[in-house]
Amino acid sequence: MARSSKAVPWLVFAGGGTATAFILPVIVIITACYAFFGGFSAALSYETMHGFIGHWLIKLIVFGIMFLTLWHAAHRLRVVAHDFGIRADTPVAIVVYGLAAIGTLATIIALLNI
Amino acid sequence: MSRKPYVREMSKTSWFLSQARYRDYILHELTCIFIAIYALIWIFGLFRLGQGPEAWQGWLDGISSPLGVVFHIFLLFFAAVHTFSWFKVVPQAMRIQRGTDFVPGNIIVGAHYGILAVVTLFVLVLAGAA
Repeated sequence: MARSSKAVPWLVFAGGGTATAFILPVIVIITACYAFFGGFSAALSYETMHGFIGHWLIKLIVFGIMFLTLWHAAHRLRVVAHDFGIRADTPVAIVVYGLAAIGTLATIIALLNI
Repeated sequence: MSRKPYVREMSKTSWFLSQARYRDYILHELTCIFIAIYALIWIFGLFRLGQGPEAWQGWLDGISSPLGVVFHIFLLFFAAVHTFSWFKVVPQAMRIQRGTDFVPGNIIVGAHYGILAVVTLFVLVLAGAA
């Protein structure tokens, strides 16, 4: 079987796509309910959220989901740029993966401050 | 190589409107823009959560502002498109062999929707009980 050097980035892309496919709908439903009519206000209160995300295990899970989501989105964004006629793939790749790396780093800093 | 190669004329910005399968393709590829923006909003939210109750309330006010409401309408749609399109191709990406046969694709997809339902209900109950 042919060996591909793209196995690792593709695995992260697929992992991110799978993680967001399962977890994104319910998170969006919760923030959408809050945005539309103030639903889940108790769950989204400062005390509850600070206590919840303050736990080290939840921080680890949030980091994992965020890392996978950012790399998934970056990888797809690179393809979308190509689809819309932007053929400068290397600069595009540097920008999107760079943003994902900054986002990942920002997530770590934010989580450590909670 | 031909000196005048045939290049099919195609719009760079609207090619996906020409066929239904192109439209479906670009629809699930575009989900990443909304997912990326939502991820950035949450990273900002995590910073605000670390800055205290007032900063967090400011973030909550932001997501429930008119702009936040409009964004959530798009986000609900694109989150559904992402999950639907992702589960649709799972049988091609995940081949499970039992003995000499492969597990039928619809069972694998069904199991994914089952897990999705469990995860969604679990988080909703957890958030509702808070």
